[in-house]
Amino acid sequence: MRLPESQLAVMEAASATDPTSVDSLAEETGLKPETVTRAAFDLRDEGLVSIDETTATSAELTAEGETYLTEGLPEVRLYRAAIEAGAANEPVEMGQLLGTAGLKGSAVNIALSNFARKGYGSIDAGAVSADPDADPDTDSERTALAAIADGESVDDTGLLEQLERRELLERSERTVRSVTLTDDGVTALMEGIEAAETVDRLTPELLTSGEWEDVEFTEYNVEADAPELDGGRKHILRQTADRVKDVLVGMGFKEMEGPHADADFWINDCLFMPQDHPARTHWDRFALDVDPIGSVPEDLAERVEDAHRNGVSEDGDGYHSPWSREFAEAIALRGHTTSLSMRYLSGYAGADIEPPKRYFSVEKVYRNDTLDPTHLLEFFQIEGWVMAEDLSVRDLMGTFEEFYAQFGITDLEFKPHYNPYTEPSFELFGTHPTTGELVEIGNSGMFRAEVLEPLGIEVDVMAWGLALERLLMLMYGFEDIRDVHGTLCDLQLLRETEVLY
Amino acid sequence: MPVVDVDPDELRRLTGAAEKTDEELQTDLFNLGLEYEGETDSGEMQLEFAPDRLDRLSVEGVARSLRYQYGDDRGVYVPKTNDPDWVYEVDPDVPDERPYVTGAVVRGVNLTEQALDSLIQLQEKLHATMGRQRAKGAIGIHDLTMLKGKVLAEDATGNSITYTGIEPDGDRFVPLDSDAALTPGEVLTEHDTGKKFADLVSEYDRYPAIYDELGLFSFPPVINGRRTEVSTDSRDLLIELTGTDQWTIDHMCNILCYALDARGGTIEEVEIHYPDATGPYADVGAELVRPNFETDEKAVSHAEIERMLGIELTADEVVDHFERSGLDATYTLGEQTVYTVEVPPYRVDVLHPYDLIDDVGRAYGFNNLEPAYPDVGTVGGRHERTRLEDAARASLIGLGFEDLLNFHMISVEDNYDRMRIEPGTDDFGAGEPAVITEPYSEDYTQLRSWVLPSLLMVLENNTHRAYPQDIAEIGLAARVDETENTNVAEHRSIAAVLARNDASYEDAKARLQALCADFDVEFATPAIDHPTFIPGRAAAIVVDGEHVGVLGEIHPAVLVEHDLELPVAAFELRLDALAA
Repeated sequence: MRLPESQLAVMEAASATDPTSVDSLAEETGLKPETVTRAAFDLRDEGLVSIDETTATSAELTAEGETYLTEGLPEVRLYRAAIEAGAANEPVEMGQLLGTAGLKGSAVNIALSNFARKGYGSIDAGAVSADPDADPDTDSERTALAAIADGESVDDTGLLEQLERRELLERSERTVRSVTLTDDGVTALMEGIEAAETVDRLTPELLTSGEWEDVEFTEYNVEADAPELDGGRKHILRQTADRVKDVLVGMGFKEMEGPHADADFWINDCLFMPQDHPARTHWDRFALDVDPIGSVPEDLAERVEDAHRNGVSEDGDGYHSPWSREFAEAIALRGHTTSLSMRYLSGYAGADIEPPKRYFSVEKVYRNDTLDPTHLLEFFQIEGWVMAEDLSVRDLMGTFEEFYAQFGITDLEFKPHYNPYTEPSFELFGTHPTTGELVEIGNSGMFRAEVLEPLGIEVDVMAWGLALERLLMLMYGFEDIRDVHGTLCDLQLLRETEVLY
Repeated sequence: MPVVDVDPDELRRLTGAAEKTDEELQTDLFNLGLEYEGETDSGEMQLEFAPDRLDRLSVEGVARSLRYQYGDDRGVYVPKTNDPDWVYEVDPDVPDERPYVTGAVVRGVNLTEQALDSLIQLQEKLHATMGRQRAKGAIGIHDLTMLKGKVLAEDATGNSITYTGIEPDGDRFVPLDSDAALTPGEVLTEHDTGKKFADLVSEYDRYPAIYDELGLFSFPPVINGRRTEVSTDSRDLLIELTGTDQWTIDHMCNILCYALDARGGTIEEVEIHYPDATGPYADVGAELVRPNFETDEKAVSHAEIERMLGIELTADEVVDHFERSGLDATYTLGEQTVYTVEVPPYRVDVLHPYDLIDDVGRAYGFNNLEPAYPDVGTVGGRHERTRLEDAARASLIGLGFEDLLNFHMISVEDNYDRMRIEPGTDDFGAGEPAVITEPYSEDYTQLRSWVLPSLLMVLENNTHRAYPQDIAEIGLAARVDETENTNVAEHRSIAAVLARNDASYEDAKARLQALCADFDVEFATPAIDHPTFIPGRAAAIVVDGEHVGVLGEIHPAVLVEHDLELPVAAFELRLDALAA
């Protein structure tokens, strides 16, 4: 048999007949008591030893007890002084005795109160009489103190309690474990036990050879700090986008994809945005210094122009704004991903558009706005639309309630709003999940006939958009979006931000 | 979006709703679509709203909307007008670019301090919105008593003013906020307001000018003369608007007249005499009478209203909602009940019958509608491109890279110069820049043509953070490409950098190998010279014979340029290479 060194040592030190305490074993083996204890428990699990547990009361002298042990108990010192002064025969004045005995302060009262109690004599009217038969050398309290100091046990409970009352000793209870070899243990010892080695690392050799069964691993400080580690992780804005995508796919939406740099035709004209709309002027739009778009669908372009100039339907009016094909064909960075919705709804993106359909995208848009803690020049827009027969604004409201509820945003309010491309239109307000504030969370509406008719759509389409960053700030409580998005980002913040799911 | 400042007491007074608290007013306004944004230093409510109901750009218009909402007013209201006394003659010399004029005379208006402030605010807000910063329409309001009209003819009563065009160094006049008489040209260079609006007319051959018997008194769209300045003492006003579209200025004028009517003014028509009915005047005619308070009519079917709102209504309820929106409606009950709806002349937002259904919804209260989840079954799914991007991102993260997200816009310096490459060369990443015509700032002048520059800038801005910094990004890169329909070629690019004390070519290539192995893509890495990388430690990434990326140790000059004090190994390749 092979056993770890510590276990073997315990086996060898233990006896089959007399239980040996852990402390004794520790002393004998030179191991730490906790190591002996752990070894003993392991050996017990192997059936090699048995462990008895008793509750032991131990006593220890207090500082005052130690002093009296060396200098003598105050009442004894008083008695010896009194005998010397002849108080065995006739009373001696107390003040004189105290001086001789070297008693002062609190020791005086201690001496006086214990003198009579212990039969050393009596005190009457300031004079001390000593009992000549008393024997201070056999004072039981002094003897007990000396025994305890020597580590011997004292069995007289009354005496111990008396000393404890005098605050000369302190008693405590602890579990004392004693180890006895079992018959199996004795047999194993007789057959011979080899010591197993102690190792630092578990190696492939130990595992394959089976030696791991006989080795003992050195102990680590398992509470010590480990080095810091930064693993790879997905950007938190991407994580948020993924959640949004999950929710939308779960609600039956398909994802759209398309160009960031696009003709104004797709970005604005199809959306019935008048060409002199403030958002289309140079201070909101990032025009690109490239040639105009190669082509837009000719028949669609004519229908869009006609809608701008004359409106649609018998009673419809157009805008009193200029419209030029040249402006429509100029290339700019898209100000919203509704340009993708237009490409898909027109059929130009190549996807099937037989109703019903649900489509979405979570992609970047570009606005020439002021750059500040809550506004970036480029940000992610969540865009979604539903195309079906007979949709009402109640369907729109129901869809948004479901969507926002997934992010803990409830109690939606619908503020009537205006967009050139939707009617009715709503700004969506929701209750902030933590602050309880009413915050704007999106913009929505039913696409206008002036948008749908030129596209050739004969059913209803409801649509909405919101900034992903807005959702992120609501969910994480960030105050400056630039810490997260862009080259000024703080790696530390990105590394430390809690993962939300 | 427009913001209008409204004194709550004035609003209560004009609405006749003395008992309403500020909070109640705010809730009622929210339901109309006007959001309370806060208050001004002088305690006025700042109300923000979308730019459709421009008739609400003053306290008078907001009060009118509330009175309808409360049911205190119903149906269409049209102010009475008196017959014209004034004629606006338009001279053939008028600038071609700004041919149209309109206006009105308003008498007996009670211009209190508040009323005057409100009028000035309305004028400014109309300029900012419908007027397109005065380019499309500009308003001049004058104290009528300070004007001396030209007598029309011996046998006619009435006066005239003349809208014409003059040379920049033509007649002088004293503009508002000035003591000196200036020519129109001098106004544009010397007067603060003139400088601000100079761009509007600087290309014109002749500058717009309005004269009375005493001379030049208005230089639209720039500034009025001081002679006719309106004050709280003014009782009778002459309003003139010039612009590039007759409909637009006529409706701006209507909104002004309705506000002044609410202040007790009497509206008096004016005649507009254009030189003829040709050219820009072919559609509008040679002689007009303004303001034009004619109502418009649109037909809306009952079925459409119910369908759009998703509720059932009786015809009487619909009419009630129309009337509470300031509209009138008549109908004949039948299988297809259709309402003929009369729209007042201050409404500029009604293009299609749907716009009237929106009014019914607002009057009904959209928030009173019960949301319903549409009973429409569709199958959801992700686009193939984003699925590929996500899979590649998962691989990079598994390799220990921190995923980053940077701007697509960048500067020429950051994209090329600081990476030691030149635009339009053959070096990977050096594509022709897609340049932004009017950038927000010099930091964002073009779309990035590759992604590595963004990652080096992140390293540059995070030198105080713990290393190693192994970061990666999958994002858009673009360059000019005339074979594309949009003339811009866009692609997603994968960039990854290892910034650590022992970063080497081998470390970067090991990760690239692992990434490509995930997608079962075989690649070769022939040596190349690339100025961003250390010579002899740079390779092209070649997949199926195509140069799809670059790999190597970043050149010390690039590192020093980015304030980096440790080696950086990097690679970049097109995302679509993984789909090969």
